[in-house]
Amino acid sequence: MTSLLAIGLLLGSSVIIGVYGVRAARSTPDFLVASQQISPGWNAMAIAGEYVSAASVLGLAGLMLKNGVGSLWWAVGFTAGYVAVAALVAGPMRRSGAYTVPDFADYRLGSRAVRKLCAVIVLVIMWLYLIPQFKGAGVVLHLVSGTPYWVGVVLAGAVVSSSIAVGGMRAATYVQAFHYVVKLIFIAVPALVLLVRAGGEGRELVLRVDAGAWSRPLLDLHGSGQPLLATWSVLLATTLGAVGLPHVIMRFHTSATARIARRVAVWVIVLLGLFYLFPAVYGLLGRVFAPGLITEGHTDQVTVVLPGAMVPGVWGAVLTALVAAGAFAAFLSTSSGLLLALAGGLSHDLSRSSVPRLRLAVAAGALVAVGLSLPAERVDINVLVGWAFAVAASTFCPLLVLGIWWRGLTVPGAAAGLIAGVCAATGAALASVVTGPHPGWLTVLLAQPAAWTVPLAFAVMAGVSLLTRPPEWAERALLRLHIPQRAAGDG
Amino acid sequence: MSGAGGRVRVTSPQTRVALARRHRPAQHLLPLPSPDSGADTEAARALFRRQRRLAARTLGLLGGLLLGLSGLLWLLPAPLSWVVLMVGSYPLLLVIAVCHVRAAERNEDRAP
Repeated sequence: MTSLLAIGLLLGSSVIIGVYGVRAARSTPDFLVASQQISPGWNAMAIAGEYVSAASVLGLAGLMLKNGVGSLWWAVGFTAGYVAVAALVAGPMRRSGAYTVPDFADYRLGSRAVRKLCAVIVLVIMWLYLIPQFKGAGVVLHLVSGTPYWVGVVLAGAVVSSSIAVGGMRAATYVQAFHYVVKLIFIAVPALVLLVRAGGEGRELVLRVDAGAWSRPLLDLHGSGQPLLATWSVLLATTLGAVGLPHVIMRFHTSATARIARRVAVWVIVLLGLFYLFPAVYGLLGRVFAPGLITEGHTDQVTVVLPGAMVPGVWGAVLTALVAAGAFAAFLSTSSGLLLALAGGLSHDLSRSSVPRLRLAVAAGALVAVGLSLPAERVDINVLVGWAFAVAASTFCPLLVLGIWWRGLTVPGAAAGLIAGVCAATGAALASVVTGPHPGWLTVLLAQPAAWTVPLAFAVMAGVSLLTRPPEWAERALLRLHIPQRAAGDG
Repeated sequence: MSGAGGRVRVTSPQTRVALARRHRPAQHLLPLPSPDSGADTEAARALFRRQRRLAARTLGLLGGLLLGLSGLLWLLPAPLSWVVLMVGSYPLLLVIAVCHVRAAERNEDRAP
């Protein structure tokens, strides 16, 4: 009951901040100016707020409990992605004036066909990413109120699509920044309390290192016995996937200049590094204090279940409420960002746009995501998020990196590379679900295909581009991305 | 941009973007931001090449750190090595990113 109250308070305060933010924006002549007066710190907090999803709050601790401390590599990869973003895309994307990846394809290649292809891939990535968010919301609501999983998923879909429709997410930046703070505090404070509560003997047990696979600081996928290959494949997917995630790219246009966009990416690294200290605490404590979850196969619940298991009575309920609200904030901010990006793709890039259509697209997108999430109860949150990252790393990452840093990219090359990347990555993920056990290395290459699909997509894109000729304005389009626009205060 | 006093329609950045995009000019057809004489194009090419070398170096460092650290942990399963994983990765990631941004801004300042 306390937890439901906490989630209700979170929803209420998000709406209030959204309404207040809209009023603040109304005092300036143009929302664009307002959004560009947002300081890099706020902007970075908003990006981190949108980025820290159910995969980070619930999935990471769950995966750590299930597979061992090697799961921390997921968090390292999620953070390392912003080093690649700062180095490769943040500045040039801001200068291109493109807000989305389909926009960028239009700018750099001047092709309607590639634009549509990109819009379809946006849908694939966003849906893959939304499933684990809805699963996370379903798990949290099930734990705090006892409703069946499917009720939680349907309810979460209704909450998030109506909160977008009402306009509560309008001042997106401030709401997302607020959600980052909520997540950090509501996950960090209970973690510290639980660490104290564990006592000296408990902490010793928690920090015990044995020779078993659990303590080995490398990832393994489905017991493949190929830890180094699995770790590298996950690192490739998470680091390069961040470069190509449509809703991440979208947020850099709120920076005033390309320079600030780059600095914002660096601040995001600081905020993510700080946040990722805490999910690890739940994973380590869970192994000692909630080992039952491993045998039941409910490891994704550990963050929410642990406070109640370690602290009896009222304080346990309060801590559970904090954690549940933090997890729900993660779900709310990430899935709102994902749904908006998805709706933009559905209503604008694939058909004619208008506000009613945008609303309809949000509802349609949420409906499909809810439908896909219902059978996903037993799939690990991080495995699903890993696929979304793998598809982004095998499609938009090569498109953006080659488009920004190589003048030779052509329309046929981009199209061939995108098709090869999306087919290979989704095909491998599907195959890992429907086909039986394989030898170790094949298990890794299907369950986390980035290790071969990313090089494949780059090779196809570059190879086909070399066989065709770029237009003569290609160099100008490329150089415009790298010249400081002094008139706009850039440089 | 509209005059002071008049009411302005306010929408979320994403909504505004989705609605406004179709009226944007094709930017790749516009001239370069600085006057587009031959010398400026040459300077822009030089800046682009410097930035590309820098990006390649940063990416090399990032790859070296991630693959190197995981490789090291695979070769030497030292006790408490998950501490090495966390302490060895986050601060170094930040150092690599800060160095990149400073160098990229220096390159832009040196450009005419």
